[in-house]
Amino acid sequence: MLEFVNLYLVNGIVLGCVYALGAIGITMIFGILRFGHFAHGDMMTAGAYIALALVWASGMPVLWVLPAAMLLTAALGAGLHWAFYRPLDTGTGSTIVIVIASFGVALMLRSAVQLFFGVDITTYQRGFQTPIWIADTIRILPRHLWIIGLTIALVVALHLFLTRSRLGKAMRAMSDNRALARISGIGTMRVVLAAWAVGGALAAAGGVFLGIDTQLSTQMGWNLLLPMFAAAVLGGIGNPVGAALGALVVGVAEELVTFPWFGEPLLSPAYKSAVSFAILVALLVWRPTGLTRGRVF
Amino acid sequence: MTPLLEARGLYAGYGGMDILRGCTITVAPREMVVIVGPNGAGKSTAMKAVFGLVRIREGRVIFDGQDITNAPPESLAPRGLAYVPQEHNVFATLTVEENLEMGAYTRRSGIAEAKARVFGLLPALKIKRRQPAGELSGGQRQMVAIGRALMMEPKLLMLDEPSAGLSPKVLAEILEAIAAINAAGVAILMVEQNAKAALAMAHRGYVLAGGQNRFEGPGPELLADREVAASFLGG
Ligand SMILES: Nc1ncnc2c1ncn2[C@@H]1O[C@H](COP(=O)(O)OP(=O)(O)OP(=O)(O)O)[C@@H](O)[C@H]1O
Ligand SMILES: [Mg+2]
Repeated sequence: MLEFVNLYLVNGIVLGCVYALGAIGITMIFGILRFGHFAHGDMMTAGAYIALALVWASGMPVLWVLPAAMLLTAALGAGLHWAFYRPLDTGTGSTIVIVIASFGVALMLRSAVQLFFGVDITTYQRGFQTPIWIADTIRILPRHLWIIGLTIALVVALHLFLTRSRLGKAMRAMSDNRALARISGIGTMRVVLAAWAVGGALAAAGGVFLGIDTQLSTQMGWNLLLPMFAAAVLGGIGNPVGAALGALVVGVAEELVTFPWFGEPLLSPAYKSAVSFAILVALLVWRPTGLTRGRVF
Repeated sequence: MTPLLEARGLYAGYGGMDILRGCTITVAPREMVVIVGPNGAGKSTAMKAVFGLVRIREGRVIFDGQDITNAPPESLAPRGLAYVPQEHNVFATLTVEENLEMGAYTRRSGIAEAKARVFGLLPALKIKRRQPAGELSGGQRQMVAIGRALMMEPKLLMLDEPSAGLSPKVLAEILEAIAAINAAGVAILMVEQNAKAALAMAHRGYVLAGGQNRFEGPGPELLADREVAASFLGG
């Protein structure tokens, strides 16, 4: 049982946190602009490497430079929209061109990272962390505590922003009914750019957390796309807190299938990603609105 | 008196085909004007064209002395022009109160007072204010839509079929609320299927068909007109 909690459940939750920070941006962008942003994973990669550059430049621990990395990636997100997606957004509902453009942007981001940082795997800092014992039974690494704690803080802050602030409410209004938002006098571009900034900042946090937990590679974000989209659909598209919960489910489920329930692992870890695929297919077939009430398109 | 809204000789449509073919609508300050006409006449299209949601190919829209032809829709609420579309006219996932706040998005002050005034005009909303608008009944949703549009204290309120799909009792309530809003000094331009009830309370009415004005005149006169009654009001 303890082996289960310490080696599988905690890892699943940490993975879920990384997925959550990306899935929130994906679901917000889908809600407001009605397109799947396939460069979101690579935006996370970019955020992780921006943090690496800041660590190199400042010599500070990575968590210290996290706010700056989030800010820069927020600007990157808004910039990507301004430069690449805005010219293609006709406002008439046809978004397939933008989806395909986002594949191009994904490749561009990854190549840019490879150009500056090379293709080799790297880490923020070397060294070995000793686990902390909680109540003499649960063993958890300090970095895992940080990742879980900071993710919870970010999701709570986002929730407060979306339900209390004028700009946050405008984002929800635009996601709910873009035409009515315009009729109400809500300027589309400012709100859209703000949503990209929020998505970019959270993506950077997700990328950095993955880098802290494992390592940095230029493929790291791209590999997260499938579970993050599964999480966004699971949480009900357009529902950020739902996406975070969906991500937790996906992350934990991916770890749990590798647990030796009957003496042997249910699935070899190599097949982990099949879990998100199965979740996604099952949802699309039986419950396309997601588990919480989301919108159907 | 110079009109508050003057939309003259509008030609507009979807994808190159004109739905409006020279239609003209004017509204004086504090006036209540009703547009009636058969399905597909272009009534909703005329409202959308005035509000910048359908591109006007020819013609002019002057509101409060300013040319707003093809102006971006989001620029109109701050000028005192409000619009309640025929469909999808509330933010279903936002609470009633948040819907009202979005109506006042470009307002920097007086939001609490505006909210209080709307609750005064539409008291049914007050008890529901923490509920998502999507969970309300059709009549209540219509009230939320109207309340949202009133938050900027518009000079002119445009309503597209506010009674669509409502029971006769709720219809009467909505029309009563609209009359009260008009009595408070807000000009109204309303498309309405219940032509008799609407024309009876209107200062002036238009009969629109095929994207053109067919008849125009004081509400009660239009109601009494034999020809209008025979062709558009179902006898
Ligand atoms: N988005 C659209 N794209 C293409 N054609 C449209 C669109 N909306 C309406 N039309 C067409 O324009 C014509 C006028 O429609 P409009 O909605 O203005 O009529 P209406 O007078 O409001 O009718 P109703 O009483 O049914 O609401 C109809 O023939 C309709 O099919
Ligand atoms: Mg109509």
